[in-house]
Amino acid sequence: MLSALIAGLATGALYAAAALVYNVMFSTSKVLSVTAGHTAMLGGVFGAWFMQVLGLPVPLALIGSVVVGGAFGLLTDIVAIRRVLARSDEHLWLLSTLALATMVQQAIALWWGTEPRPFPRVIPQDFGAGLLDQKYWLPVIVAIGLAIGLEVFYRRTLYGKLFVAMSEDIFAARARGIPTDRIRMLSYVMAGAMGGLAGFAAGQLTFAYFALGLTLTLNGFIALAVGGLGSNVGALVGGAALGILSSIATYYVGGEFQQTISVGLLMVVLLLKPEGLFGTRNVRPV
Amino acid sequence: MKHPLAFAAAAAALATLPFWAGDQYQLHLAALIGAYWILIAGLNLVVGFSGQLSVGHVGLLAIGAYGFAIVAGTHGVDPWIALAASGALGALCGFLLGLPSLRLPGFYFAMATLAFALIVTELVLALDGLTGGGLGLSVPTFPEPFDTPAGNYWLILAVASLVTLLTWNVARLMWGRGLICVRDSVVTAQAVGIPVLHAKLAAFVFSGLTAGLGGALFAVIQSYITPDTFLFELGMFFFVCIIIGGRGSILGPFLGTVVLTALPELSAPLAKLGNFFYGLLLLLVVLLLPEGIGRLFQIAMERLRPRRIESMPIAPHPQRLTDAIKAGQR
Amino acid sequence: MSLRRVLLGTAAVALAWATGVFAQEPIRIGWLSSLTGPLSSAAIAENQGVQFAVEEINRTGGVNGRKLELVTRDTAGDPTKAVNLAKQLAFTEKVHVVIGPVNSGESLATVPILARAGIPNLIIGSVDELVDPKKYPNAFRAINTNRQWIEAANHYALDVIKRRKIAVIGDTSGYGTSSAKTAAELLEKAGVKPVYSVLVDPNKTDLTDEVNKARAAGADVVMPWSAATGLLARLLNTRGDMDWNVPIVGHPALMAPAIRELVNKPEYWGNAVAAGYVSTTYDDKGRLPAATQALIDKLHGKMGKGEIDYMLWWVALGYDTVKIVEHAVKQAGGTDPKAIRRALENTRALPGVYATYSWSAQQRNGFPDHQIVMNQANSFKDGAYRAAK
Repeated sequence: MLSALIAGLATGALYAAAALVYNVMFSTSKVLSVTAGHTAMLGGVFGAWFMQVLGLPVPLALIGSVVVGGAFGLLTDIVAIRRVLARSDEHLWLLSTLALATMVQQAIALWWGTEPRPFPRVIPQDFGAGLLDQKYWLPVIVAIGLAIGLEVFYRRTLYGKLFVAMSEDIFAARARGIPTDRIRMLSYVMAGAMGGLAGFAAGQLTFAYFALGLTLTLNGFIALAVGGLGSNVGALVGGAALGILSSIATYYVGGEFQQTISVGLLMVVLLLKPEGLFGTRNVRPV
Repeated sequence: MKHPLAFAAAAAALATLPFWAGDQYQLHLAALIGAYWILIAGLNLVVGFSGQLSVGHVGLLAIGAYGFAIVAGTHGVDPWIALAASGALGALCGFLLGLPSLRLPGFYFAMATLAFALIVTELVLALDGLTGGGLGLSVPTFPEPFDTPAGNYWLILAVASLVTLLTWNVARLMWGRGLICVRDSVVTAQAVGIPVLHAKLAAFVFSGLTAGLGGALFAVIQSYITPDTFLFELGMFFFVCIIIGGRGSILGPFLGTVVLTALPELSAPLAKLGNFFYGLLLLLVVLLLPEGIGRLFQIAMERLRPRRIESMPIAPHPQRLTDAIKAGQR
Repeated sequence: MSLRRVLLGTAAVALAWATGVFAQEPIRIGWLSSLTGPLSSAAIAENQGVQFAVEEINRTGGVNGRKLELVTRDTAGDPTKAVNLAKQLAFTEKVHVVIGPVNSGESLATVPILARAGIPNLIIGSVDELVDPKKYPNAFRAINTNRQWIEAANHYALDVIKRRKIAVIGDTSGYGTSSAKTAAELLEKAGVKPVYSVLVDPNKTDLTDEVNKARAAGADVVMPWSAATGLLARLLNTRGDMDWNVPIVGHPALMAPAIRELVNKPEYWGNAVAAGYVSTTYDDKGRLPAATQALIDKLHGKMGKGEIDYMLWWVALGYDTVKIVEHAVKQAGGTDPKAIRRALENTRALPGVYATYSWSAQQRNGFPDHQIVMNQANSFKDGAYRAAK
């Protein structure tokens, strides 16, 4: 039972990280990008590739994964966001990010293969550590670290404040001379790098597997919607709740109804509290 | 109906397809396109007209297919009743899915439909007493004369025509205008008195009905269904057909369905790229041609045969005016 | 093209005509293979065997003077595509015989279609329901059935290592659920009710709970029925990390070479036994059966002397399917479907590399029970395995 809790917490931390990736992209562009989960998938796959195929040491591979994630974030902005936002049709970004996510997943499937491949040990540790094993705690530490880092970034740095300004009112921000396009690009690179880091940290848990992206996109979104869009604490709580709930449900019922249960959680929260647990109601249709 | 002649020729060509199709494989492809189109025609009202981005219609397709296989196959009920039951089941599930999820904003709705498709697959595997689990179910055919490839094709053609006619009627009349208004601006729609949720839900339930019918006919063509048949990628495929064909049109998505079903069959390298190809097409269309390829077709047609702009100038007629003034003064 | 070459070419054609190679149309073999997509590794290896056999037969003049012509179609593991391509092979390409498809989910859909088209079909999917002499008279299975794998593994667990408390683990994919169900049924028939059975999502990141529960239920052997190597590797890792030395006995994917990379420590792969084949098992002196060795030598001749890093039996199976076609056409004296069916029905103990095949009017499963053997999962070497003790 304790092991179910801890395994659920570790998976939940990965969902939380995906939710944070959503949040960062959303703050500057009001776009929920389907590619959120794929940044973590890339972090895992490239981390394994750097270490196992190229034989790089762990720190270099970590940096490499973060760079790949950031580059993918940049690509997302250039290819799927920039032109679409300029035309300001609210549906098109969903289509363009979905298209990009599909292409990336299929490209990785063709290059890396469809079988999960191993992810090496990051920190030297004996495998018999049981519930203290790094594969459970690395994602948890990274998710909490990212959330704290983001809060500090938003409150203490100029760029963080620009992010907040843009998320409050993008037109006002532009009127005050903020280069909104550059800031948005920066936020996408940052989000991609965060995803890459999370994917690297969770690599031992998930293996390097091409189809991880879509699962994370969906579950990260459920975590986000449950916790409340835009809230970093909400992302952590939502992710942990989702991970632990589905792990405990699997413990008692078996794996056949996993998806049904996690979506059930989403539906219950959305019906009772549509803005999520920590979200703010922000309705301004006109 | 702008081109009655072209329409009549196309209808005649489709109706006589079994006589001039090269072989049964091509007839099979035509029937498959027809079954897909029955679903896509309904989905088109949801995606192309009311602007709700459902990527999970493959779940409704699976429900229709399994419904038919279970009712007609396992329980031996008359296939016609089973076909109607599949449609009704699809509509019911569409209602149950649409009622909570259509209230959600765009991305939330898309994710809810995605989750729905995954849940259906999960349940199909879990309820193996009913669905045969991973082994799947064998699907019965329709009775004579619809049990041959040609008969089956004609049946699908008939259903597809009926569905197309219905969607065409919906699209060009008040309903279609209302849906387009909901797509383009919910605020405007509310302001002019369109019952937004009601309109969206009606379109969605209709798409559930066509997905159920399409699923039943798809299952008959496949002759055996397993959970592997109803992958999420198939839902993406339906969605891409509509976007690439062009939203807010019927001909566009139809051409999209035909081309995207036939292309990978004709070209092996494209089949190998699989979803990468669909993703690339989708991206290109969104970035370069958001109105879809159907629009390109339209523009080309207008270039070839410029529409005559009928001008009806009203020439001044001073004599009548003075007469009228005089008549008034009197 | 110089005149000389034209003349030479003409002469060659004339010669060929005279010897009868061009006198008859080629034998067209449809090959439905999932060369891309999930589970492509088996198909790629089988494809090597199929192509190798076709080249070999054509080099020695074909069958009854008719060349073999291979029509390969990639289904990408998708049943809808498989149905399309099966119809294409049957009606557009007008092939004489179809080999495949590779995955059971696709085969379930294509077998009835090819049966209706009346085309002989060599089946290489292992799900039991695929063959039926009445419904699908033209379908003959070359591979073993799922039941044969499971029975061999059950026999090993119950009678060889004498365990009675069995934990059955399946995955939630179609193949996993149906195999786990069959395994549990067969165990109960043998009078042993599994102490624990569970279905797991093949991508589930952690199996600690399932393994803990199996241990708490007192299991003394764990039997996984899943073709997902990632899941099997996690099972091995969890067992190893927990320091629980319980034997794992199950699906052949347990001995896939890819597992070596996925386990935390090499020794975690020990004490695991999987259903394999006599044809790819070393004897006490480290030798393979003569037919297998001959195939390896031929493969080495073609692809260099390097070590074989894929499971050899897939290649052997692919090679054999073409050889079975050759045998059937020779016996039938042509490619008439009825004659081919009769020829295969009367086939007794046809020696191949992968197995020795026999079919009859009532029996469409050609693979004999006794050619399955339990292998030590971690004994992979040069494409083959050591027998389990």
